[in-house]
Amino acid sequence: MFDQIGFPLLITLKIAGLSTLIVAITGMVISYILARRDFVGKWLVDILVTLPLVLPPTVTGYLLVVLLGKKGMLGSILYNLTGWTIVFTWQAAVIAAFVVSLPLMVKTTTAAIEAVDREYEYAAFTLGRKELDTALFITLPLAKKGILAGIVLSFARAVGEFGATLMFAGNIPGRTNTMSISIYSAFQAGNSELANMLVIILILMSLLSMAITAKIINNWKI
Amino acid sequence: MGIKADFRRRYFRKKSDKKKGIEPLFILDAQFEVGDELAVFFGRSGTGKTTALQCISGLLEPNGGKIIVNGTVYFDCHKRINLPVQQRSLGYVFQNYALFPHMDVKKNIAYGLKGWDENEKEERIKEMLQMLEIEGLGENYPSQLSGGQKQRVALARALAPKPDILLLDEPFSALDRVVRMKLREKIKDIQRELKIPVLFITHNHVEAFTIADKIVVFHDGRVQQIGTPEDVFYHPRNSHVAELVGVTNIFEDSVVVKDDEMAGTIKLSCEDMEVTAKRPEFKIKDKLSWGIRPENLRILPATDDSACEENTFRACVKSMVNKGSSKVLALEVKEKSNYLIAELGNQSFENMDLKAEDDCLVRIERDRIVLF
Repeated sequence: MFDQIGFPLLITLKIAGLSTLIVAITGMVISYILARRDFVGKWLVDILVTLPLVLPPTVTGYLLVVLLGKKGMLGSILYNLTGWTIVFTWQAAVIAAFVVSLPLMVKTTTAAIEAVDREYEYAAFTLGRKELDTALFITLPLAKKGILAGIVLSFARAVGEFGATLMFAGNIPGRTNTMSISIYSAFQAGNSELANMLVIILILMSLLSMAITAKIINNWKI
Repeated sequence: MGIKADFRRRYFRKKSDKKKGIEPLFILDAQFEVGDELAVFFGRSGTGKTTALQCISGLLEPNGGKIIVNGTVYFDCHKRINLPVQQRSLGYVFQNYALFPHMDVKKNIAYGLKGWDENEKEERIKEMLQMLEIEGLGENYPSQLSGGQKQRVALARALAPKPDILLLDEPFSALDRVVRMKLREKIKDIQRELKIPVLFITHNHVEAFTIADKIVVFHDGRVQQIGTPEDVFYHPRNSHVAELVGVTNIFEDSVVVKDDEMAGTIKLSCEDMEVTAKRPEFKIKDKLSWGIRPENLRILPATDDSACEENTFRACVKSMVNKGSSKVLALEVKEKSNYLIAELGNQSFENMDLKAEDDCLVRIERDRIVLF
């Protein structure tokens, strides 16, 4: 029972949780820069970050293998140095989830930061506060609704991630069989009882996370 | 001590216009000196007042020139000095207050006091709340405050770190008349107490003249005149300034047809209308511009026997607007194709019983003519 339901649930929460944490932090940094800075090649950064949103997840997964696989451009260096490859590990699933959910975080958060009136930041500057200080205590708190929306979307995307994970992390029971992948396997094997059970758990999880988010946002005055 | 400024800032429609050498859309060319006094930047919208203030604060970088405040160089194009905003020691009050909505009043005020000792910080916040008479509002959030209260908090926040200068960008434009009057007095009191240069932007001429020690008039990106309120009000230097200070009837480039030094008068001819004015103190050129405020035109009944007296013309009432305590009349000067705007107190208006298309006499008060 644990192998069939418990493990996929825990590994999914672990992968989605960790990837969302990384997505949230890098997403806020990238979004702030995109929203508030002008630099050469800004459009390129924007495109690169957004690309996984429009690419089929299998393509993203394939590109990850090409880049980070045992014989990949970066992966081969890592393999030669340590004798370890990331492919078919839970860490690979985290990277896959990170890549596909980052655009959702960046798009939502950039829009939220752009919507913050720059006058608040100017006011903070005239009060002697540096840009980092202002970003942490004024800009990001004022954009918190959009940031939370980005985090929720990223988490949901990470939980539901299938294509890139399958390509990059595989479907190894007891290692990388996440909920989404387990549902597919159960369905393929004709085990509809297990598939139903996993589907119900996923739906309940989604409802719960949406309810919690709504509750948090309701309690925020600004 | 005070502010010495002489700087320029250019605005282009597109960034690439600058490289292509296309003429800028707007050029601000500001030169002024302000001591430890309350100086008003006065002018219409879009004349460069806010841009000038932002250049002084460091929120915008000028393209050339120098800004020195209390002996500290804030900006010097030649020496490539551009002190960051954070190091300029200034208080800035924004038009829309810009109070941080996620912080209560005390936290808003404390935000500029980073690095202060906790006790000193507490003391300073209390002092500021008292100074602006908002003691009871410390725990409130900006959304729970009225417009006037928000403005007081914004002032308290700007003044808390003991700035060297205070900059106010149309601070009262969204407030009602009574609150505005009270806050004007407050600003004057604060300036007198702190004795620092205060720059105050407004496009409201009543506000400018009631609050200012010095007025800096902006038009089309340039400083047109600097002087005391009386100076600017009674002796506007050109037609732009004259119009801003309420001289509605302006006649530019009138020919001086007679200069009577003995009588101390000059005669001006403009679009076949001849008027006599008091001889000005400045050197007279061949052509002068002149103007008269609406309230300095006298309206007499058409039957009055002073029709042929100096500066008196036959006119026809074209339209009337009620201003509450007075009426504004548009008059067409007969046989001269000139229009004049006159303002008449309600009492005299009722005595005359004027209606549209009625004839009357209009006299341009000789001693009230403004020459520039």
